[in-house]
Amino acid sequence: MAFADSWIVVPVFAPLTAALLAFLVRRASFFISLAAACLSLLAVAVLVNRFLVNGPAAYAVGGWDPPLGICLRTDGPALIMLVLTAVAGVGISLYAKGYFTLRIERPSRVGRPERQERFFWPLWMLQLTGLNGLYLSGDIFNLYVTLEVIGVSAAALAALSGKSASLIAALRYLLVSLLGSMSYLLGVVFVYKTYGVLDLGLLQAAAAPAPGVIAAMALMSVGLLLKTAIFPMHFWLPPAHANALAPVSAILSGLVVKGSFFLLFRLWFDIFSPVLPAAAFNLMGSLGAGAIIWGGVQVLRQQRLKLLIAYSTVSQLGYLVIAFPLAFAGGSSQAWSAVLFMASGHACAKIAMFMSAGTIMLHAGHDRIRDLAGIRAYLPVTAFAYAAAGVNLIGLPPSGGFIAKWMLLITALAGHQWLWAVVLLAGSFLATAYVFRVVAQLFVIPPDKPVITRRRAGLLEWPALIMALLSLLLGLMAPYPLRLLEAGQIVRTAMTMGGGP
Amino acid sequence: MTTILYSVTGLLLFVFGLFALIVCPHPLRKILGGNVMSAGIFLFLVAASYRADTGEIDAVPQAMVLTGIVVSVCITAVALVLSTRLQQAADQGARRRRKRRREEDAGE
Amino acid sequence: MKMLLTGFDLLLALTLLWLAWQLLRSTDIFKAIIFFICFGLLMSLAWVRMHAPDVALAEAAIGTGLTGPLFLAALRRIERKAGKNMMSEPAGNGEETGSRWKARNREMSPLLWTVTALTCCLAGLLIWTVLIIPRPLPGLADQVAGSLAESGVNNPVTAVLLNFRGYDTLLEVMVLLLGAITVWSITHAPFPPRVPDTSPVQKAAVRLLLPLICLIGGYLVWQGAYQTGGAFQGGAVLSAALVLLLISDFLWLPGMRSLPLRLGLTLGPLVFVLLAGFGILVEKTLLRLPVEYAGPLLLFLEAACGLSIGLTLAAFFAGGRPASDLRETPYSGEAKGKGPAES
Repeated sequence: MAFADSWIVVPVFAPLTAALLAFLVRRASFFISLAAACLSLLAVAVLVNRFLVNGPAAYAVGGWDPPLGICLRTDGPALIMLVLTAVAGVGISLYAKGYFTLRIERPSRVGRPERQERFFWPLWMLQLTGLNGLYLSGDIFNLYVTLEVIGVSAAALAALSGKSASLIAALRYLLVSLLGSMSYLLGVVFVYKTYGVLDLGLLQAAAAPAPGVIAAMALMSVGLLLKTAIFPMHFWLPPAHANALAPVSAILSGLVVKGSFFLLFRLWFDIFSPVLPAAAFNLMGSLGAGAIIWGGVQVLRQQRLKLLIAYSTVSQLGYLVIAFPLAFAGGSSQAWSAVLFMASGHACAKIAMFMSAGTIMLHAGHDRIRDLAGIRAYLPVTAFAYAAAGVNLIGLPPSGGFIAKWMLLITALAGHQWLWAVVLLAGSFLATAYVFRVVAQLFVIPPDKPVITRRRAGLLEWPALIMALLSLLLGLMAPYPLRLLEAGQIVRTAMTMGGGP
Repeated sequence: MTTILYSVTGLLLFVFGLFALIVCPHPLRKILGGNVMSAGIFLFLVAASYRADTGEIDAVPQAMVLTGIVVSVCITAVALVLSTRLQQAADQGARRRRKRRREEDAGE
Repeated sequence: MKMLLTGFDLLLALTLLWLAWQLLRSTDIFKAIIFFICFGLLMSLAWVRMHAPDVALAEAAIGTGLTGPLFLAALRRIERKAGKNMMSEPAGNGEETGSRWKARNREMSPLLWTVTALTCCLAGLLIWTVLIIPRPLPGLADQVAGSLAESGVNNPVTAVLLNFRGYDTLLEVMVLLLGAITVWSITHAPFPPRVPDTSPVQKAAVRLLLPLICLIGGYLVWQGAYQTGGAFQGGAVLSAALVLLLISDFLWLPGMRSLPLRLGLTLGPLVFVLLAGFGILVEKTLLRLPVEYAGPLLLFLEAACGLSIGLTLAAFFAGGRPASDLRETPYSGEAKGKGPAES
């Protein structure tokens, strides 16, 4: 194994080491974390480059090939998620610095913002470790451990604000995530009992209909759906996301739910696709349809900005699973490219929205939508970021959301699946309604009423804008991710999975 | 025979724990339920690796169970501290409200 | 003999199920916790029956030995506060006080029946699946046996845990640290709890027991390479010593500084990460150990991890960060040193 192959471990080990150091050396925790985020970004760039030259890579940790050891792998979907996480990682780190600096300047309660900042950095770095570990991992039990890292750190981050509501939400989040990972773990046990291996590559090669595998897939899918908050198992998401600190909401809504979703996606399309019946895909699709409609209606009923954004996450997550039956029936890679587009576009947009909401809340002191009129006069960059992110949620060109919905719609129409097409369109109308409801408030300035005192903070406004622009311009950059996916697919069909390097 | 017996026991424990986790309102009971659930899964996992006829053991499931036990203790601890803190916050809220009520009474 | 063992298995399985049922339905939480502790002890017996002594030891030390006291401590903290409240709070205002978790589930009985029916179905389906999975079940026993000689240890479980699947274990050690960070981030440790009845006998007993417990913990860590034992079991025993110190109200504990504690908590993961990096430098592969040095390196790793695990578990029991932790605040100017400042 060549020295340069070890780049693959950097996205996991950079934040992991940073978490240890940030916990030890608190004065430098921001710089340590930022350095780790930048280093992961660099490593992911190297990985993408190597992938385009050499194709998918497998790295046997400790030199032990599967089935005995654990393998790290890169392929198209994993790399897209890694790029997304790395970019968002740098953005969120910068925003969090601005957020905590402002909070510490004007504490509502002495000591509280300091405690929050102090523990935010190691927890955030561990979250990043878990996410990157999940995207890279090629071992079904190792995936369980990364799920636990993600789950515990997410609950810890959600509890960080220290308010009663957020503590309740965090406890519920923790228990739900425990339930989800237990269900997943039982599925893993069934897989091990059926095939006797844990490596994803070997499982893919071995996947054949067997009595244990249906039980395993059902258990793992339910667990992951619960963790992803797909309707009707979404009940825990809005309070947990809405009551957290702004950077934490951005992390939870933008990145964390995508982690468990990605695993679900991988299991359904990569590993066990030959053994699943069509009815299972349609069931997933109807859950997605339920999420889009029910979530969309719930969004319209919200009075508080952060709750509104949280419910819109519930609705948008529906698009991710409604693609399952489309991809199954279409048989083409188009629908599942759309899923990854949707996931990355939504992640960038949602991060930008929660960042903007946090900035607005810091400056206005509240987030009641009714009283937010005219924020644009004071926070023009933030208001623009919110609107740009909204464009992605609606799915207008040239956003990433547009490309994704367009691909889904084309697949649905080509396969004569009218019902799914109608739901997709209805979801867009609902999104238009709830985005414009807020944007109209932000941009209309009542003539007589100065709403808030003038304060500016560059680190709060610009990361949000950049994330929003990324989501907006993802459509223009579409060829690059598509190239990654296609490169992966060509190799995927040619590759006979043998495991080690 | 032994394998099947312990496998079934493990699955039943899993279901008991699941039921408690969903139904019981008290957080401590929920956390206990989670612990019973994980114990059931571990029992089920190791029961597979045991072969009474050859006496041979598979170390991989045992290592997995060790990992799982440690993870579940960790989650238990975090959940317990969260619920204690929650109770504390609720008490403080009640105390603050009582104080405000008393002040209002005095004001009238 | 075989009959006898089967009978024993059956009895054990039934007792486990009965205990689980009791602990989930008994009205008194305290009783439920006691049932849970018994349950854990019997689980260890089941592990022994399945030739998994490492798991049995871990279950007895961590799963029961530590989790039970964790529950009891949490119950005491919740009930103490709730009890105080219920005495001063007039009845009828129950939703904010200790009884907020109780009652309230009488009216949802149709839902309850649905859940019951669903879980019964689930149990039936799962058991049916287990019965129809073809046997013998596949596994990795042969691969482990084949590579054991290169792993540097003789105990196959330790070999899997630290060498073959060392990456899992590294992440798991990180989960433990994550738990400790989370606990610290949530609240201050409620120590010193001003226990008035720490008798001199208890203190003397702790003084005598402490070296012994540490010795046993160290022995378990060292022994992990050859037979049953290892960092987790040894660490758990070590944490028992620390828990004893905590509940015996030793004077120097409340004043414990934060930095040395943090160093201790991160020592194991740091050594692990360094070892991983060492693998990249020397063998060009993450976590790969040179065969001839694998034994000593793993022992060193186990010692460091055992120490950190012991501290982490004790930190779980303490239930919060040390009192000194917020004083070294680097930011806020005038309000420093006021101790626990949040809500």
